[in-house]
Amino acid sequence: MKGPIAAVVLLSYWLCSARAGSPIILRDVTKETGITFVHTDGSSGQRYIMETVSAGLALFDYDNDGDIDIYFLNGAPLKGTNPSGATNALYQNDGNWRFTDVTKEARVGDTGYGLGVAVGDYDNDGDLDIYLNNYGPNVLYRNNGDGTFTDVAKKAGVDLGDHVGAGTNFLDVDKDGDLDLFVASYLEFSYDKHVLTATAGFPVYANPRFYKPVPNNLYRNNGDGTFTDISKPSAIADHASWAMGTVCADYDNDGDTDILIANDVSANFIFRNDGTGKFEEVGLITGFAYDLHGDEQGSMGVDCGDYDNDGWLDFYATSYQRQLATLYKNLGDGIFEDVTLRTGAGTGTLPYVTWGNSFVDFDNDGDRDLFIACGHLQDNVELYDGTSTYFERNILLMNTGDGKFVDITEKSGDGMQIVLSSRGAGFDDLDNDGDIDVVILNSRRGPTILRNDSPPKGHWLQVRLRGVKTNRDGVGAHVKVIAGDLILLDEVHSGRGYQSHYGMRLHFGLGNRTKVDRIEVRWIGGGVDVFENVAADQLITLTEGSSKAISELAN
Amino acid sequence: MPQRPQRTNKNIEFRTRNFELRNSTLGVRYSFLALWTLWTLWLFPSAGLTKDKQLAAERQTSALKKEEAELAQALIRQFPQSEDPIVLMGNVQWRQGNAAEALKFWQEALHTNPRRPDVYKAMGWFAMGKENYEEAIINWRKALQADPQIPGVHNSIARALMGLGRHAEAIEELRKDIEISPNSSSSYFLLGQGYSQQNEYEKAKASYEKTVSLEPDLTNAYYGLFTACARLNQHEKAQEYLAVFKKLKAEDMKVLKDRNDAYNDLIDMRQGAAETYMFAAKMYQGRGDTQKCEQLLKRAAELDPNNTVYLMELASLYGSSNRLSDALAMHKKISELEPNNPVCHLNIGVFSARLKQFADAEAAFTKAIALAPESSAGYRSLAQLYLETGTKLPQARDLVQKAVAMEPIAANYFVLSWACDRNADTDSALSAIKKAVELDPGNPRYRQMYELIRKRSSKQ
Repeated sequence: MKGPIAAVVLLSYWLCSARAGSPIILRDVTKETGITFVHTDGSSGQRYIMETVSAGLALFDYDNDGDIDIYFLNGAPLKGTNPSGATNALYQNDGNWRFTDVTKEARVGDTGYGLGVAVGDYDNDGDLDIYLNNYGPNVLYRNNGDGTFTDVAKKAGVDLGDHVGAGTNFLDVDKDGDLDLFVASYLEFSYDKHVLTATAGFPVYANPRFYKPVPNNLYRNNGDGTFTDISKPSAIADHASWAMGTVCADYDNDGDTDILIANDVSANFIFRNDGTGKFEEVGLITGFAYDLHGDEQGSMGVDCGDYDNDGWLDFYATSYQRQLATLYKNLGDGIFEDVTLRTGAGTGTLPYVTWGNSFVDFDNDGDRDLFIACGHLQDNVELYDGTSTYFERNILLMNTGDGKFVDITEKSGDGMQIVLSSRGAGFDDLDNDGDIDVVILNSRRGPTILRNDSPPKGHWLQVRLRGVKTNRDGVGAHVKVIAGDLILLDEVHSGRGYQSHYGMRLHFGLGNRTKVDRIEVRWIGGGVDVFENVAADQLITLTEGSSKAISELAN
Repeated sequence: MPQRPQRTNKNIEFRTRNFELRNSTLGVRYSFLALWTLWTLWLFPSAGLTKDKQLAAERQTSALKKEEAELAQALIRQFPQSEDPIVLMGNVQWRQGNAAEALKFWQEALHTNPRRPDVYKAMGWFAMGKENYEEAIINWRKALQADPQIPGVHNSIARALMGLGRHAEAIEELRKDIEISPNSSSSYFLLGQGYSQQNEYEKAKASYEKTVSLEPDLTNAYYGLFTACARLNQHEKAQEYLAVFKKLKAEDMKVLKDRNDAYNDLIDMRQGAAETYMFAAKMYQGRGDTQKCEQLLKRAAELDPNNTVYLMELASLYGSSNRLSDALAMHKKISELEPNNPVCHLNIGVFSARLKQFADAEAAFTKAIALAPESSAGYRSLAQLYLETGTKLPQARDLVQKAVAMEPIAANYFVLSWACDRNADTDSALSAIKKAVELDPGNPRYRQMYELIRKRSSKQ
């Protein structure tokens, strides 16, 4: 399908769907899940800044049983707050939208102040480990392979001591086949540096400019269960910022993984990898640092996806109230263009503070839609700004297939009408039915679990990678799916969006195509494997060095 | 006549602050230094308070809000025929965060007088903040119906149209704004954005170039130039503009940080309330109630003690009421706040002279000359003083000749004529007053003096 014909077909498809109701329906199934987790930000009225930015979540298969489990980060008592017993929580997916709290059994109930999380098999032993980027010491939960975890952060040299964490990512910076670790930090905080502030006579959380920005950290995996801090030799430590969400991706398609950071109240960063694990900060020259106007934003989360199916990863960064969340289109020559106004990708975001986000093909029509989690960070904003509320509705923008987005929040099911103060959001196929569901962490409240109940959708393919020479889950691998005229691109990421982790199992919506002609996998630090003639509507595993796709889950 | 000090102060733009200071959506300052808008309340909260101080500040703020709202309410009662107090109450409610109440008052004001472009402008920004672009456009179109030549409204409409992705229409609106305000750097900047969005990078570049010709320190315009040149493969130029952008951005960030650290919520609230008091004072002044006007201005000055605008208003009020000592005292107070402002010293000189405190007047004018040796006003005023007192007449002539050489304006020629005349040089006096009449033919005083000297000259 090409040019005008494609446009007409897509438009007809969309119009038909619209006539029948929204093409995307997300139902609130939180109550059915049995999940009882409630987030706390550890607040006591002192208004410590980290309360506003807590927290992310992780979606991953911790027990290798073929379904996606949920790990929620939690805050912890801050100075002046009574101990609450709050911990992070791991929920095992039992199927049929039931989840069991296995935090204690799995020994992952960290009581630190959770902010960011990434998941990856850093020891290449076949199971997924968890890294927690906290306020306070960080945690590396090594998966013991028997349903339990052990904190080995100190021993591994990645506990980082007393800092305020942000996004974090596993990535292979030097293409040596194991996962290194990037750890972002928000700002320099101590209780004696805490700032009390007011707006229109009401106490409010201080903005980050009151605190010093700090450099981030990069650790090289030594291959023996320990890491070496290479922040300085890699040049990562040359740049301080108020980092928040992070994502690691090969934005320039040169075969190595770069690091992109959404910075609060300052220019965003791109650390371009020279292929050996040395980085140059190129945010400004690439057009990613600032929005269209040349303004820095209060950036929050960042994720990537090829929204226009042109073979290049585009990036979406959420931001503060009265700034549009921004879509940076990758022009393919190492340059980005802010196309938010042109595409409508910021629709609905202006009045809100926006956080978790991702490009997700919710309706399997072959293009990626946008989900944006919203919620103000000032819990009393209503008192001094009658146009704003702490609790806000999340936003769903549907990709119309012609490079534009339309806001379909209103008609996309009861799950999109929930009004809370959301932070991290994760996107994965929780019920293995071939569409992507949503998990949202809400500040000071229980989470929201949204089941994708969209009307008859297109075909799909899910891809799990198995590295052999390269890292086991193919983190950083570049996957191109070709189905007739449709060419889709994705990468495996560890850590993304707003300080969260999800989507290691790649999902491709195929529209009306019943098979995939060709899949190309370019492994980080490895070669390129090609897989041909793969049927749609299944989860397949692609193993490095092989040419045969292994079917895991038939529809 | 006393002159108003030339000083950049946000409060000078009295009527606009409540409306426009907190607007600008789409990030455009346009949001350069980025952000004097409602959402920046988060960026600039009052800093560094201890808990006790904060509680005290909260109590003071709460009392101040009440006081301000009561003042606006009193105006509504006192001036039932005017919608101005209702608009003011809307502004007060808006500034205090009561958006729904603000909207109610604005709508009520429009019910009384639908030809209020300022109110439609405010309502447009209100809608814009909620990302209701269509409603914003409707309001701004109504503002234009009320006053088609109002500057900036086409610019606002363009911003809303850009929010809707309607860039071609936005460009048309910006062109209209430029017709009204040919030097609007904001509109040229947005024009650059509009063309960029349409991939018309040559036009975008030209618009940004025009922007920086009008406002050379406009940081964001250099980002636009960098982007446009990069798209046009003019890489050398792009790098040049990028370097300027980086430099200016670093300066902006420093300003932002300093402003952030210095911001005080209570002071901001007091400044806002002071504006309300000034507005009220003007209303009473218009009714001829100078006593009430003075009382309100005094409260404004008390609330915002570092803002000389209120002191100037008081000085002006005293001057026009012939309360010369009070006026002089007020100008002296202003000069304490702005010791290097030559205009303050000129005003002290003027009132000292009127009070026959000639030595003080001479000292004040001499100070004004020392502070602004390139300005003719000090020389002229000092010359005038000597002429009025009949002292140092040759010096007076020298001074005013210097003034004329600096600025050949009618006022200077007039005093030169006077000085020549007092120094018995009638020919030169006639020549100077002729020049004054030529430059300002409508001034009866010049014409009268001309006739006088001409007659005397012809008798000789």
